[in-house]
Amino acid sequence: MKARVLVYAMLTAYALISLYPFLLMVSGALKDSKEILLDGHLIPSNPTLATLAHTWNELHFFTYFGNSLIVTGFTTVGVLLVYSLAGYAFAVLRFPGRRLLYGMFVALLFVPGVTMLLPVVILQQKLGLIGTFPGIILPFVNGTAPLSIMLLTNSFRAVPAELKESARCDGAGELRTFWSIYLPVGRPALITIALLTAVPTWNEYVLTRVSLNDASRYTLPLALQNLNSSTAPQENVLMAASLIIVIPVIILFVLLQRYFVNGLQGAVKG
Amino acid sequence: MARRLRGREALTGYVFVLPAVALFAIMGLYTVGYGLALSFAQWNGFTPTWTWVGLGNYLDLIYRDPTIAPIVHGAALRTLVVMIAVPLLTVLVGFPLAVALNHITWLRSAYRTVFFLPQVTAGIALFYAWTYALQPDGSLNFILRHLGLGTIAQPQGWLGNPATALPTLIVVMVFSAVPVAMLLYLSGLQTLDAAVIDAARVDGAGGLRTMASIIWPLLLPITGAVTMLNLRNALQDFQTFLLMTNGGPGGHTLVLGLESYNLAFFSGFKPTLGLSSALGWILFLIALVLAFVNLRVLRSRA
Repeated sequence: MKARVLVYAMLTAYALISLYPFLLMVSGALKDSKEILLDGHLIPSNPTLATLAHTWNELHFFTYFGNSLIVTGFTTVGVLLVYSLAGYAFAVLRFPGRRLLYGMFVALLFVPGVTMLLPVVILQQKLGLIGTFPGIILPFVNGTAPLSIMLLTNSFRAVPAELKESARCDGAGELRTFWSIYLPVGRPALITIALLTAVPTWNEYVLTRVSLNDASRYTLPLALQNLNSSTAPQENVLMAASLIIVIPVIILFVLLQRYFVNGLQGAVKG
Repeated sequence: MARRLRGREALTGYVFVLPAVALFAIMGLYTVGYGLALSFAQWNGFTPTWTWVGLGNYLDLIYRDPTIAPIVHGAALRTLVVMIAVPLLTVLVGFPLAVALNHITWLRSAYRTVFFLPQVTAGIALFYAWTYALQPDGSLNFILRHLGLGTIAQPQGWLGNPATALPTLIVVMVFSAVPVAMLLYLSGLQTLDAAVIDAARVDGAGGLRTMASIIWPLLLPITGAVTMLNLRNALQDFQTFLLMTNGGPGGHTLVLGLESYNLAFFSGFKPTLGLSSALGWILFLIALVLAFVNLRVLRSRA
């Protein structure tokens, strides 16, 4: 009994630490421009929604939300399409050089992001893609290659060979077998990869910052940062803007969390 | 007939991997190769040609250049501190949390959801929140004063004091690493054979004893994975440093990743792009060595 109390006390303490940044966002967003300058107390003495309303207008949320949606949507669809095909080939088909190719993708896992950053920006320039959506979507898609290929290859390998054989007997071609047998069976892995791609892409900051130069194409994280640098706003505005941009992801996470948790476990284990 | 079928299968295989390989060739091989080549040259990003310097950039970074080498040494030392502290603290916090979570059923998934929230939240929003909390008249100082711990409050802010800036960043990094570590431990705990634990119980081992001599050793592979993951992140992370302190105050939180970023994107027309690439390759090599050691250790244990 005593142990149980201790366990709950510990979990609650860490839960409070986890919630602390979000409490700060809510608290800051409810303060007005005078109160934000005072001591960092969490409970606003006269809470106001004016800051949130003002920030909402300043942030042009839906413009940047649209940009984030385009970037994240195309990246996720691209990842699912390109790497499910590759995963199928690696798991099911025999062809010379497949081990080498597979190893090449896995090796990409060890290249630090900062090592790729400058060459990627230079490549964007050479291809005339600097400051465009395809210019960031292509490296984003490629960046998930190691994890996506490993997960999908593993999950396609687990499909019983009899399923494939029976499809063959029914006269299904390779593409047909892939599409109507393997993709449906691999759905949990596909959902996992979609989430593991979409969330980091939605939140990505560094590559978008160095390669998107036109503010009209900014994604939400950049819009938040832009708000900070352009008008030098106060902390209450920054907290309100942070709150606005994290809410959609939090809702999505709470709805889909079992896929997240299972997926992450599978991803790191596999 | 069989050979023809196999030939067709091989052809299909190539067609199926083609999109991935094409993208990889352009976005992966080309950029990695370009970075490697650039690491042997001097370039400011604007002149049409590179000046080849061979291993010059590497030597400059390691000892030769009187301005850059000391900066790199300081950054390397800080990176090392981060690489020791972050995995260690992550395990120290993540393991007990997972055990605690595994111990309860009521509210378990609620706690797990809350613990996981920071993981899915945009880094930049979290960093603004932390920066807001850590400033001189911020929330952390306020809380400390009200707990009667005013003496450890930082009048110049937690990120403004050279003595507390790096430790504070380490805590922030641990905070973002704990959810994944906890999740891995939790999955490990759930796959542990309950019989083993019951047997220990029957033999009269107490909770802590069971933990120390049975559960912890059985979960060592997970500790290995968590350590490896965090070593890699600690080595490569620069976004935390860029956003929260940009290396300040006075270079006291400058790490290797951030220095490579600065050399590439804040060179001020100086020919430091090759230096940046060379530093990136040094990071890559360290990551490879770590991965290799990790693999050997895991293998020898198995």
